[in-house]
Amino acid sequence: MSGGLWRLPALALAWRNLRRNRLRSVLAALGIAIGVFVIVVLGIFGTVLQLSASQELGGIGNQVIVSPAEERQAEALTPRQIQSVERAAVGRGTAVPVYAENALASAGSQQSPAQIYGIDNPAALFEGRDRSLPAQHRGGAFVGPSVASALDLQIGSTVEVGGQQYRVVGFLEPSQDITPIQPNNAIVLAEREFTGGYDQAVVVADSPEDATAVADDIDRRLNVRTDRVDIFELSELLDTIAEFFTLLNRFLIALGSVSLLVAGVSILNLMLMSTAERRGEIGLMRAVGIHRESVLRLLLAEATLLGAIGGFFGAVLSGLAALALWAVTPIGLDVVVVPRNGGYLVGGFVFGIAVALISGAYPAWKAAGERPVEALRG
Amino acid sequence: MNNTDHTTATVEPAIRLESVTKQYVGAETVTALADVDLPVYGGEFLAIVGPSGSGKSTMLNLLGLLDGPTEGVVRLGGRDVTDLSETELTDARREYIGFVFQDFHLLPTLTAVENVTLPTAFTDGQYADRAVDLLGRVGLGDRLDHTPDELSGGQKQRVAIARALINRPEILLADEPTGNLDRETGVTILEEVRRICERGVAVVAVTHDELVTEYADRTVRLVDGRLGEGDDGFAT
Repeated sequence: MSGGLWRLPALALAWRNLRRNRLRSVLAALGIAIGVFVIVVLGIFGTVLQLSASQELGGIGNQVIVSPAEERQAEALTPRQIQSVERAAVGRGTAVPVYAENALASAGSQQSPAQIYGIDNPAALFEGRDRSLPAQHRGGAFVGPSVASALDLQIGSTVEVGGQQYRVVGFLEPSQDITPIQPNNAIVLAEREFTGGYDQAVVVADSPEDATAVADDIDRRLNVRTDRVDIFELSELLDTIAEFFTLLNRFLIALGSVSLLVAGVSILNLMLMSTAERRGEIGLMRAVGIHRESVLRLLLAEATLLGAIGGFFGAVLSGLAALALWAVTPIGLDVVVVPRNGGYLVGGFVFGIAVALISGAYPAWKAAGERPVEALRG
Repeated sequence: MNNTDHTTATVEPAIRLESVTKQYVGAETVTALADVDLPVYGGEFLAIVGPSGSGKSTMLNLLGLLDGPTEGVVRLGGRDVTDLSETELTDARREYIGFVFQDFHLLPTLTAVENVTLPTAFTDGQYADRAVDLLGRVGLGDRLDHTPDELSGGQKQRVAIARALINRPEILLADEPTGNLDRETGVTILEEVRRICERGVAVVAVTHDELVTEYADRTVRLVDGRLGEGDDGFAT
C-alpha cells in the first residue's frame, strides 16, 4: 500500500524509476563504481608508496653532517668550529664529533675494507645488536655486521686496524636507513685512538625541522664570508622527495578522475534518455499539482542514488583491493590502514555522488522546467 | 441538471473564461481561441466538441490552468487567476482541478492506490484511505495493489478518475475520456463522470465522441477558435 511510499516521495519514486530499467541503471552505477575504484585505489597506492619510502629513508632527515670545506683543503674541523656546531645543536639535538677514515681491517688471515670511526658516544649514532651501546666508549671495537661476518669475528675476538689490535666488545645493528654514517661496514673505536682534529661533526637532531634549523645556524656561525665548512643536511631532500610523491599521487588521482568523468557523462546520457522517455509522466506530475522543485528533487534523487550505489561498491571494492595489497605483498598493514587512506575511501564515495549529482543536474533541471502543457504531449 | 438555473447573476461559475484570446506566436501567428466567453458551473457536465485544430485542447489547457491566455481573464471561483505565478498555478491545480486524459497517464511503476495518491505525494496528510475509498467507488476495490500493466483500459481510466478526485476538486477536466475505450466501457466511465457531476463538481470534457455529448448537460461547439452559434456558450 502507499502508506510508506510517500514518506520520502522523491527517494521512493526515484528508486522505482531506477528499478524500471535495471540493466541501464546498473551499468550507469557500474561506471561510477569503476571511477571511484580507480581513484581510491590509485590514492591508496600513492600513500603506500610514499609511506614505504619514508620508512626506508627513515632517520636520514634528522642528521646534519659538518665537514671541512672541500675547497679549503683543510684536513679537520678546528676546535672552535666543533664548539660552534655544539652550540648550534643545543636544544635541538645532540652534536657528535667524529674521527673517520677508511682502512683495511684484518683478523687472522682475513681482510676487509672498513670505515673506521672514532666516537666517544657511539650510542648517539648507532644501535647495538645484542645490547645497547654505551654513551661513553671505554675502549675496544664495536664492529658492523658486514665486517664482522667478513672477518668471522666474535665478542672477544681481536681485530687489527692500522697496525693496532683491538678486542671486539660489541656489534652494531644493521641499518635499513639511508645515511652517510653507515653501521654495516663500520668499526667504531674510542676517540683516544686518533690524533689531530675531528674529521666531521654529526648532529642528530630531534626532528627534520630541527635539522634544518641547526644547519642554518651552523651556516650563519661558520660560513660568514667564505665557506669554511660543508654542511650536509637531508631534510630538504626529504621535502623534495615528499613533494615528488605528493605530485605523483595527485597525478595518479587526476588520471583516475578521468574515468569518473566518463562515468559522469554516462549518467548524463542516462538521465537525458530517461527524462525524455518520461516526458509525459513528468508533465502529468506537474499538471496534477506537483511543484517543479519536487520534480527536480525526484530526478536529482535518481542521479544521487546511482552515484551512491556506484560509489559505495567502488569504495568497498577498493578497500578490499587495499587489503589484498597487504595480504599478497610484503607491504605492512601500518602503511595500508592509515587515516589518509580512509580519507580516500570516504572522499571517493562522496566524489562519486557529487559527479552523479552534477551530471544529473542539467537533465533534471531541463525536464522539471518544461511547461506541463508541452510535456504532456509526450 | 438544468443549466438555466445558472443564468442568475448570484451563482458564481466554478471556472470562467472571459473574452479569452489565445495566440501561438511562431513563424506565423495562430489564433487558437478568439474572444471566447465560457462559464462552467458546479454540478454541470459540459462537453466541448469540434474538429481537430478548432482550439479544444487549448481551451482545456486554459481551463486547467496549464496555460495562460494572450488576452482576457480566467476566473477560478470568481478569483482572477490569469496572472498567477507558476507556483501559485501549480497549487491551484492541485487544490481545485482534477484531470483525466485519453491515454490515462498512469505511472507504470506505481500501484493503483499509489497512482491515485500521486497528486498528494509531496504534500502533508494521509490520503491512502481516501484513495482506497475512491477506488472502491469506481469498482476497483479488488485491484488496489495492481500496477497499470495489470489493468484493462477501462480499469486504467477508472484509476485515473479516482486520481482526479483525490483532492476533492471543484472542476474535473477530461480530455477524450472515452477515446481509448470501447463503447461499453465508455458508458461505464461516463456514468461514473455523471455521478461525480451530481456531487456538485463542474465537469468539462473535450471529445469527438457522440456518446459523451449524450451524457452532457450542455455541449458547445468550437470552430476555428470561436464558440459555434446556436450553442449555449454565452450563458450570461
